Amino acid sequence: MRVGPFCASVLVKKKYLILYIFLIWISLLPAILEIWWYWQMLWVQERPLHFYVFLPLFLFVIYVSTVLAAIFFTKILLLIISIFHKAREGTFLRDPADKDYRYWSLRNTIKKWPTWLAHKFPFPFLDNICFKLLGVKTKFSNSLFEGWVDTEFMEFGKNVVVGQGAIVQSSVIIGNLLIIRKTVIEENVRVGAHVIIMPGTHIGKNCILNTWSSTMVGQKLEEGWIYNGGPAKKFKKNRFFEDIPIEKLAKAIGDMDGLLKKYDETYVKRTLKKRKSLSRKDKEENSKEEKE
Amino acid sequence: MNEKIENEKKDTENEEDDSEFIIDFTTSSAINKVSLKFLVVYIPIFWFSGLVIATFWYGYTISPVHWIIKLLFLPLILLGFTFAFIFSCFFFSKLLLIFINLIHLPKEGIFRTEKGDTDFEFWRLRTEIKKITLWLIRNWPLPWIDVVAFRWFGIKMDFSSHLNDAWCDAEFISFGKNVTVGQGAVIMSSMVVGNYLIIKKIRFDDYALIGGQSTIAPGTHFGEDTVLGAVSVTTLNQDLEDGWIYSGIPARKLKPNKYAEMRRDTIHKVDVDERAKVEIEHEVNIDDDKKHLIKRDDGGVNE
Repeated sequence: MRVGPFCASVLVKKKYLILYIFLIWISLLPAILEIWWYWQMLWVQERPLHFYVFLPLFLFVIYVSTVLAAIFFTKILLLIISIFHKAREGTFLRDPADKDYRYWSLRNTIKKWPTWLAHKFPFPFLDNICFKLLGVKTKFSNSLFEGWVDTEFMEFGKNVVVGQGAIVQSSVIIGNLLIIRKTVIEENVRVGAHVIIMPGTHIGKNCILNTWSSTMVGQKLEEGWIYNGGPAKKFKKNRFFEDIPIEKLAKAIGDMDGLLKKYDETYVKRTLKKRKSLSRKDKEENSKEEKE
Repeated sequence: MNEKIENEKKDTENEEDDSEFIIDFTTSSAINKVSLKFLVVYIPIFWFSGLVIATFWYGYTISPVHWIIKLLFLPLILLGFTFAFIFSCFFFSKLLLIFINLIHLPKEGIFRTEKGDTDFEFWRLRTEIKKITLWLIRNWPLPWIDVVAFRWFGIKMDFSSHLNDAWCDAEFISFGKNVTVGQGAVIMSSMVVGNYLIIKKIRFDDYALIGGQSTIAPGTHFGEDTVLGAVSVTTLNQDLEDGWIYSGIPARKLKPNKYAEMRRDTIHKVDVDERAKVEIEHEVNIDDDKKHLIKRDDGGVNE
């Protein structure tokens, strides 16, 4: 399944592509510099061994530095653009004549390269750095790696989990309108798989969204509830953040004792084998007793 | 009498309490709490498998073959290198997994998502280690390489079933023969609900079919010839019976799976003499008022 940070691919004017190509070019320059430096430092004699030994690790460093460079130059471009026109929330006409629509498209075109590059790395921390530097309020404890999450006008609390294939957006196109509104997700929210969250949603603390539920534009979800359905409605009170005795939860999972027994037996088998091999004397005594 | 009434009241209260703890919804199994300390196991996997490629590359550069022939075979060799890289990543992550499983065996059950809980910590560690190889195969255009990776990680499956376009957890799943998983489907053998982590095995029997964009919760059991429609969700521990079509959120019985019979009896033995029989089988799911639209063998239309 192809997922990643979400940048709308609306290209209002073709000339915006020049910025995109410029970004790719300039963010690859540091990588070339590093390769040159590595070559100068380690290619001292004919076919040095340490050159090959540290090469994979060095490629790893190159990738990370390329991503960081891409984010850095993107940030500078975004700052320059914000001098001409500041990004703001609101409802705008979806027409190239509309300044907000044009600049929204421009911002997304610029952000596309660093977010794509950061996501093409199997460990989520680059994604989190990318989100933070592009102006999304998040913490490193959040897992936004498996869904599509918009890269502006977003705010996350601690320990948010966005499920596989979930869509969390702060801008949406409806007919002839472009709606941009800030989406706020507070602490400990668990967004289920395939959930769609529309712009302007405010989700309170300790909420859980069931799979395939969706929210409306500007919907407010109260804290401490489980929501279900599209548009999301209250399903039941969320008590899974409390200290519940495990026996009560065990009913939901079925035969809990049987499961635990299965794994206990495997452990016991392992330890028994060891003991038998270690204590031969006991074995002999046992066999003697049996004979008697 | 009063005592009895009080007891009854208590019982009803308890029942209400329990109903709040029933998990009849499905959330996600995305990694909970990303932590940087797992990078320590991640960099060695990358480094060691890179070293394997580096030795091959060294051999390629010093070989005394003429440079034109070397250049000619360069694309093929690069392809081989990527293959070797992926397989050495498999190997080293499997090695690490074996070590980790010696320290702590993966278990099914309910655990707390806290720092002290060893089951939770090791679950996160396992998913992180598997991530690099699974990511590599996702970005590699050969579909059967998924199956190789999943078999390495200890999932029972063979090459007749495929899950190329789905998101799938890499432990506690068993596949039968000819299982088809649709695009964008999410198969989770672990689920985080509030402060609790639930891990339970998913079983697919032979010829199960999972529709696109559907979500499968831990503990689900698919019977033989069961079909789950697109955009549908199963709940925790749901048991889908043999030979039925399920659909909806949560999944409910829609109708018996006639297509399975067709697969067994007619499509597998397509015979020129039995063409008429095939057509009769097809008519099962057509409304009565539209049956006259079907073309007959002799070219006419039924009246």
